[in-house]
Amino acid sequence: MKSVILDAMEIENHIEGTLKELLIKKNESFSYFKLKNMNILPCRSCASCCYKTPGKCVFQDDMPEILKAVANSDIIVLVTPIRFGGYSSQLKKAIDKLCLIGMPLYIVKNSHMLHPMRYGNKSLLGIGMADGDIHGQVENFQQLVGSNALNMQLNHKTLVFKKNDTLHKLETQLQNIYQEVFQ
Amino acid sequence: MYEKSLLILNGSCRKNKTSYIFAKTLKERWENTGNKAEIIHIIEYFDGTKDLDSIKDIIKRNNIICLVSPIYVDTLPYPTIWFLEKLSTEFSNLLLYKRFFAIGQCGFPDVSLCESLLGSCKCFAETVKMKWLGGLGYGGGAIIDGRSMEDLGKKGKKITHALDLALADIFKDKEISSKPQELLNIKIPKLLLYPLSFILNYRAKKTGKRYGVSDLTAKPYLK
Repeated sequence: MKSVILDAMEIENHIEGTLKELLIKKNESFSYFKLKNMNILPCRSCASCCYKTPGKCVFQDDMPEILKAVANSDIIVLVTPIRFGGYSSQLKKAIDKLCLIGMPLYIVKNSHMLHPMRYGNKSLLGIGMADGDIHGQVENFQQLVGSNALNMQLNHKTLVFKKNDTLHKLETQLQNIYQEVFQ
Repeated sequence: MYEKSLLILNGSCRKNKTSYIFAKTLKERWENTGNKAEIIHIIEYFDGTKDLDSIKDIIKRNNIICLVSPIYVDTLPYPTIWFLEKLSTEFSNLLLYKRFFAIGQCGFPDVSLCESLLGSCKCFAETVKMKWLGGLGYGGGAIIDGRSMEDLGKKGKKITHALDLALADIFKDKEISSKPQELLNIKIPKLLLYPLSFILNYRAKKTGKRYGVSDLTAKPYLK
């Protein structure tokens, strides 16, 4: 199993260390991307990736590195502060470009019109760090991960931490959820 | 400050497409009631062609803010989230108690796809302590594709009517009622999704061929 981790955390946290330790212990291969250090340009919705250069963006940035890893992976892990009940802009800059893994064609699955995926079935794990008590932010985050999974036809799990959660809690929950995803 | 002045944020990376058509229609309908409205394009602030600091005066002179945005991968596009983050960290004191509502539009008919986007807008309002007046989702973005409401005939009239009803609620400082959303819903029988997909696939392949591309299913990053 190969994991791709897209980490959009902006502040010091234990998620990166815990995730890496877990994957090394399990002898699983992974690619870890710290998004704040990456130059990813916004999607301009020009549709070139649909019809002119299928699956490739015409703007040059660091995204191909991520896309290569995603194409050859089994699990995509998103790590983000929960921002307005969704992803932070740091994560969203990469997520918007994940539309490149979809084809500009349509299929109908469970009464939903969806784009077929270029690189087959994968699992999605969304890890959010909640800050503050904004009503409905966690539910909205979970719904967003679920919608991404539906549209990309992935199995999915979400995990939400609070800023003051203990390292032990983080380790246990990550271990449990990874176990579920691997199964 | 004008009594009921409306600032419309175009959350699209493209300045003249469907989100702009919604924004333009909202502006015209609002102005018809004798009130002021203005539109700004978030992408200009993201790209740096407009100074982010200039947003201060714009926020100050408006007491209602509306975000119109396309859906990118199930929620707000990256530049729009960036802009809301900036508003929240740098200008939240100016937003306090102002009114906020949102319109999300996508190319797929299923309007439930707009829920995450609208949920995020609601969370944003709560974060910056604005009063949330509700949101609308539209699943026919591809039908509009930058055409004006007048050019859309009956469809355009129905959308405009829905926006009028929503604006009437906003004007009364009430949360948007369910009626506008009912008018915006596109009902496609499930069985019709299959022929619709067939037609759209045919069109997509034709468009690809126009660019000399015969295989839209390429896997350029697979080892």
